[in-house]
Amino acid sequence: MKKVFLFIGLFFALNATSQSNYEKGMQQAFALWDEGKLTEASQLFERIAAAEKENWLPPFYAAYIEILGSFGIKDETILNAKLTKAQKLLDDATSISENNPEIIITQALLNTAYIAFDGQRYGMTMSGKNSQLYAKALQIAPKNPRVILGNAEWNMGAAKFFGQSTKPFCDEIKRAIEIGKEEKNDIPFYPRFQLKRAEDVLKKCEG
Amino acid sequence: MRHLLFFLFAILQFSTVGQTTINGIVTDSKNNPIVGANIYLDGTYDGTTTNDEGKFSFSTSQKGVQSLIVSYLSYETFTKTAEVSSLKNLIIKLKDDINSLDAVVINAGTFEANEKAKVTVLKPLDIVTTASAAGDFLGALQTLPGTSAVAEDGRLFVRGGEAEETQIFIDGIRVFTPYTPTANNIPTRGRYSPFLFKGITFSTGGYSAEYGQALSSVLLLNTIDEPDQEKTEVSFMTVGLGVGNTQIWGKNSLSINTSYVNLAPYLAAFPDRNSWSKPFQSGSGELIYRHTFQDDSILKIYGAFSYSDFDVIQEDINFVDGFRFGLQNRNLYFNTSYKNNLGNNWKIETGLSFTNDNSTLKIIDDLVRNNENSLHFKLKMRKQITNRFKFTLGSEYFITNFDENYTPINNQKIDYGFNNQLLATFVETDVFFSKNLAAKIGIRAENSHLLNEFTLSPRASISYKSGKNSQFSLAYGQFYQQPKNEYLKFNQEFSSENTSHLIANFQYSQQNEIFRIEAYFKDYRNLVKFDTEMPNFNSDFNNDGVGFAKGIDVFWRQNQKIKNTDYWISYSFLDTERDYRNYPMAARPNFASKHNFSIVAKHWIENLKSQVGFTYSFASGRSYTNPNETGFLNNETKNYNSLSLNWAYLIDQQKILYFSVNNALGTRNIFGYNYKNTPDLNGFYDRQAIIPNADSFFFVGFFWTISDDKKSNQLNNL
Repeated sequence: MKKVFLFIGLFFALNATSQSNYEKGMQQAFALWDEGKLTEASQLFERIAAAEKENWLPPFYAAYIEILGSFGIKDETILNAKLTKAQKLLDDATSISENNPEIIITQALLNTAYIAFDGQRYGMTMSGKNSQLYAKALQIAPKNPRVILGNAEWNMGAAKFFGQSTKPFCDEIKRAIEIGKEEKNDIPFYPRFQLKRAEDVLKKCEG
Repeated sequence: MRHLLFFLFAILQFSTVGQTTINGIVTDSKNNPIVGANIYLDGTYDGTTTNDEGKFSFSTSQKGVQSLIVSYLSYETFTKTAEVSSLKNLIIKLKDDINSLDAVVINAGTFEANEKAKVTVLKPLDIVTTASAAGDFLGALQTLPGTSAVAEDGRLFVRGGEAEETQIFIDGIRVFTPYTPTANNIPTRGRYSPFLFKGITFSTGGYSAEYGQALSSVLLLNTIDEPDQEKTEVSFMTVGLGVGNTQIWGKNSLSINTSYVNLAPYLAAFPDRNSWSKPFQSGSGELIYRHTFQDDSILKIYGAFSYSDFDVIQEDINFVDGFRFGLQNRNLYFNTSYKNNLGNNWKIETGLSFTNDNSTLKIIDDLVRNNENSLHFKLKMRKQITNRFKFTLGSEYFITNFDENYTPINNQKIDYGFNNQLLATFVETDVFFSKNLAAKIGIRAENSHLLNEFTLSPRASISYKSGKNSQFSLAYGQFYQQPKNEYLKFNQEFSSENTSHLIANFQYSQQNEIFRIEAYFKDYRNLVKFDTEMPNFNSDFNNDGVGFAKGIDVFWRQNQKIKNTDYWISYSFLDTERDYRNYPMAARPNFASKHNFSIVAKHWIENLKSQVGFTYSFASGRSYTNPNETGFLNNETKNYNSLSLNWAYLIDQQKILYFSVNNALGTRNIFGYNYKNTPDLNGFYDRQAIIPNADSFFFVGFFWTISDDKKSNQLNNL
């Protein structure tokens, strides 16, 4: 009887520490991110990813930070190194969670970083891919506000380039905001809708 | 009681956990501290980031043997497996990642058009947006240094070599008949549509031991692995129609591309110098099926069929009624390739191609029919021993079966031909001594059944990165090629033709800018000679021909320094002489011009949604023999000049209108002279200039893409 107790006790103890380690780690990473310590945050996510091999969120966030940080980089060597690393992390996330709309739209964001760097070189091939990625994400999650917003933003960019009205996409953005306000998710640390950003995009769209 | 027990256990757990501190410093190979490196024990949460001095320190509750991992962008990841307690005061040196963009690249002789190529000389889009290229990948490559402008031919003449000295490969597998057949003075085009390819590597010398049977150059075309989306593409052109469709389902995709070209309406509107009894028409279809397996291995099956015919009478000084040339050609090409990772850092690539080419030629009143069946099988294995040491080995087998018959008017048919089998094996290693120094060394062995000959071709190249933006390369190689079909069909008592290449290259590149200069020397041996006007049954053949080619190629490209403008400039200097074919002495062949220069520019006009571009090409005169003077190839034509313009207008996301004009100024270029066989009464040989069939060529096309996203267009097809 005592042995059983011991076993249960140990089990709980281990389980409890592991659980809290993950939460503690993730919270700490988000805190670093909030403080603008992007390298530290991304690296912590990477370390968590190395420890939690069945969870797609840590590699997803590590990739996300690398991608955001690559916009505006002028040195091709650094850009390529960052995005190659981000791609590997996204691939890891995809192998854990296939057909995940959050990962799919982040892949589109990674492609956009290449296009933003050299549109002439990457525009033609990557924009085809992106259109396909957003279409796929919308098909899987038609009511995901991040997918709707990402797709609308992407379409706005193309319309602007061709001097067409961005109006048709404003409604899409509004719809994303409405759904985004209502959205609830039980999974801890699941990507959240960035309301303030969405409102900025809407302003750009209408203005 | 239970609670108490649980509590005790928990306490016990924590109290047994002792903390160990892990610390040290991370530096690069030159002992400079690396700031912001990621350090952790694999599979745990314990880790940190290096500080401004490259130092780190963290504590862990882990015990026993653990793996410490140190990673940082552009460096190879470092792993140390040891007892936790021993991980103190570590000095960790990270090695440069040789896959990083700023690492040295072995590139003597090579131009790569690849989206992710480390240094971009040509981008995939350039193939189709270069004025003068007219949607043909061969046209775009002719704006690179090392090529000679032979505008009446259209094929690639590289560094003093004949067109047959360049071999073309699709997905590593040989293409036996890459060019569409044409009449004299009408430039040929590549048979395959450029937009099926995602990457093009054009090597003008010193290439890898993987490629053989090419004396001068190899052109490697790689097809797209996975198409982006389902779409239908329609094009209406002044010269014909095209329809393409791509379907994707699961891990499969199928692309079909068909086109029909008929020059009759164009020739009715803009007659050229020939009289066409049957203007050029051709129909072609291409199909690619791709399948990605669960283990990420890829199978591609590519098939192309084309048919073309025409019948033309061309003015000829030796024929009062003109010279008649008619042709019917059908060509089937089939290529299948498979690549896979075998694990343990082994990679395998294998493929098979089959070609059937059948032509019927009417030359004046004589009839020539020929039929070629060729097969290529290849197996290549690659092992990555470390990040810095790789080796490749492979084997390939070529079979060609060529039959021809000739029926002179009112005469008996004569049959002739040959069967050729060739086995080749190659081994090559890639070694990175550091991020700045790399070498590639290989050897290729070939055994020809037809010639009963065994050859060995060593190849080596080395590159050194001398500064952040500059590098030097050297390459050497021996190259063998069997005599071309034109000779083999009459005689098989040959040995292979041979050349050796020596190349030195300097390259300077930075963001949106590249400069390269390359000097080379080529020594030709065992070239085929014969003693008749044209090779035939009665020719006496031998392998005693020799030759050389030396020169300097310069390339400069700049993008965006002038807003929305991209331009490149190429210059080639070529000094070559050959004593081959029926030459009485060594001389500069007719296809080789001493100076070639071209400038290509493209400018994007935002307001007009248009890309406008021009290509200017210059080539110094070509040699020809004037029988009124003594000597051989004793004269030179005037210089060649051509200015081509193009304009692509994006009507909306999916509709494009495209205009182009080749040789817009209508410069009258002369490629050589055709002399009368017999002198006139004064003993003077009259002559006729060899000139293009039409000075200028106009093209108007409308391209429409239909896809679900309503955004794709065919800009990359133009």
